[in-house]
Amino acid sequence: MNAFLYAWRSLWRNRRRTLITLTAIALSIMLVQAFHNLAVGAYARMIDDGVRAGSGHLAVYRHGYLESREENLGFSPANLAAQIRAIPGVTKVLPRVYLPALAQSSHDSRGILLIGVEPEAELTVNPFLKGLSADAMLRDIDGRDAVIGKRLLDDLKLAVGRKLVVTAQHRDGTLHSELLRVRGVVSTGMPDIDGSLLMVGRQRAALLTGMQDDIHELAIILNDSDEEAFVAAAITPLLHDRPELAAVSWEKAMPNLANAIKLDYASQKFIFVIILLIVTIGVVNTLLMSVMERLREFGVVLALGSSPGRLRRLVLIEALLLGMVAAVAGCVLGALATWYLVDIGIDLKRFIPETLEFGGVVFDPVLRAAWDLAWMAKIALYVVGLTLLAALYPAIKAGRITPVEAMRHH
Amino acid sequence: MRGEALYLPLSPYASLLTDANMPLITLSNVYKTYRHGSLEVTALTDFSLEIAEGEFIVLAGPSGSGKTTVLNLVGGLDRPSAGAVTVGALEIASASAAVLADYRLRRVGFIFQSYNLIPVLTAAENAEFTLMLQGVPRPERRRRVTELFIELGIEGLEERRPGDLSGGQQQRVAIARALAAAPGVVLADEPTANLDSHTAEELLDLMRDLNRRRGVTFLFSSHDDRVIGRARRVVRLEDGRMVGDSTTNR
Ligand SMILES: Nc1ncnc2c1ncn2[C@@H]1O[C@H](COP(=O)(O)OP(=O)(O)OP(=O)(O)O)[C@@H](O)[C@H]1O
Ligand SMILES: [Mg+2]
Repeated sequence: MNAFLYAWRSLWRNRRRTLITLTAIALSIMLVQAFHNLAVGAYARMIDDGVRAGSGHLAVYRHGYLESREENLGFSPANLAAQIRAIPGVTKVLPRVYLPALAQSSHDSRGILLIGVEPEAELTVNPFLKGLSADAMLRDIDGRDAVIGKRLLDDLKLAVGRKLVVTAQHRDGTLHSELLRVRGVVSTGMPDIDGSLLMVGRQRAALLTGMQDDIHELAIILNDSDEEAFVAAAITPLLHDRPELAAVSWEKAMPNLANAIKLDYASQKFIFVIILLIVTIGVVNTLLMSVMERLREFGVVLALGSSPGRLRRLVLIEALLLGMVAAVAGCVLGALATWYLVDIGIDLKRFIPETLEFGGVVFDPVLRAAWDLAWMAKIALYVVGLTLLAALYPAIKAGRITPVEAMRHH
Repeated sequence: MRGEALYLPLSPYASLLTDANMPLITLSNVYKTYRHGSLEVTALTDFSLEIAEGEFIVLAGPSGSGKTTVLNLVGGLDRPSAGAVTVGALEIASASAAVLADYRLRRVGFIFQSYNLIPVLTAAENAEFTLMLQGVPRPERRRRVTELFIELGIEGLEERRPGDLSGGQQQRVAIARALAAAPGVVLADEPTANLDSHTAEELLDLMRDLNRRRGVTFLFSSHDDRVIGRARRVVRLEDGRMVGDSTTNR
């Protein structure tokens, strides 16, 4: 028999109370772990979708372009695209042109942002284009094919196969127009995008301004967002003799998404803290009750010659055992919940019929968790720490017992 | 501080007292008052008593006369308000809490009226408790406890929980616990008050026997005349004062 055995048996003396406390701790661990993993999975998905629709995990810009979006701040990619494509971890390098323009049909006109892309490269990664069949996709880099947002299509009273004209300012100050033909229609469900998206081949867009092979953005898509730092470091030397250029991470290029994720996770963390706080208060209550019930027993233990320190340790060991059992149970439950959320996920379409937009990015309505094992372990350790913390006051209380009083009154 | 004694070591069987006539326990002019706010209760008034090693002595007196108070003072659970309590070389009044805890652990065995066994531990684990606190290894603990259980006639009950034992059996386990660490003094506060008279007499004979064979000093309290009648020396208390001290040749 040792202190751990004594503590363990004492813990189960009031079986029901211990089980209730244990369940509360374990469930809170499960909740926190499952929600964290769900958030991690959802954010990863959003980032993934976001970078593919937007600026990539990393993007190269001319200094000042991100801030001003001035169309004359373009640059020639020269052999940069090929060099970056050669860096391990890079999946795609996407040169893009962005031009504010006027789109006109025979019925109406709208101000839009014309996007010039390399169709072949974009097709496999751009979530806007992914859903398009081959006969709706842009065919080449300098053709007259256009992919258009559904709402813009309706606003201009167009249909597939019909013609429209885009007009933008040329570098020489005059207005230039190009004739396009609607080939594909994109419906994201996001009013902003559906009402303004107009995509054409990059060189066709360049004709409007006379920027030729210059681009505004070189979006870089990675295999895995974890490799961002490594790839960024590999790009830096490539830009040495191009001081006017800079590689920027998606967090900077898409601050809306980055901030939305940060804010969302901050509010989650706040809820986690509250959950754990409530549980800790419950544990304090349980342990305090268990100490107060055993005043006489503790008085006897002290009378038999135990030091108060030993008695305090006994209470802490009980808390430690409680915390460890709860942590193991909580991790098992948390893993089961995560497993379900990774495998099946939560289909938000059942709750919210509209398209889901978050930080300016449309995302998959099925939320799926991702495993964050290190974090799960960390939370389990935190909870063990919290139960120990919760035991401090009861332990101090136990150490203050005087045997004479305890045995006289209880 | 496990292992090393903080006061002069005093083995239970070989007294360190250089003068064999010197008492083991001395209370001289002890006063004990309890204060609860403005309320003051005097539990002992000018109480003096000397107990030699190996005595079997009972404190007799009505409820509230101060018996438990004397035992608490001798056991180092409480300190006198005035006067001196010494056990061997230890001065209770001036000893630190840590020294008193160590003294209780190594020098004193306690037996309580309501047994006070730890309910979640088995009979053997209860009896081993002070040995465990002392850091005695498990096999050695078991060996001593097994011997004691045989001596006390409770062999075979080692693995039972206190709740599954009769009052008499529980008190025997408590006696085993008090004796396991081989203390010099056993203090028993009304050890038989919760037992029927037959069991009480059996237990008393058992304690008397242990006192004779082991030379352990027994100091216990009682207000039961049949119990008191079995002691060699009877100290009578009333209202915190000694009103009688008689020794018979039993
Ligand atoms: N901790 C205490 N606080 C206040 N008063 C106390 C305390 N302990 C004892 N007393 C009082 O001191 C007096 C002596 O008490 P004590 O417990 O020593 O008597 P006793 O002879 O053991 O009585 P009993 O036979 O009821 O156990 C009583 O009046 C009691 O109420
Ligand atoms: Mg009493």
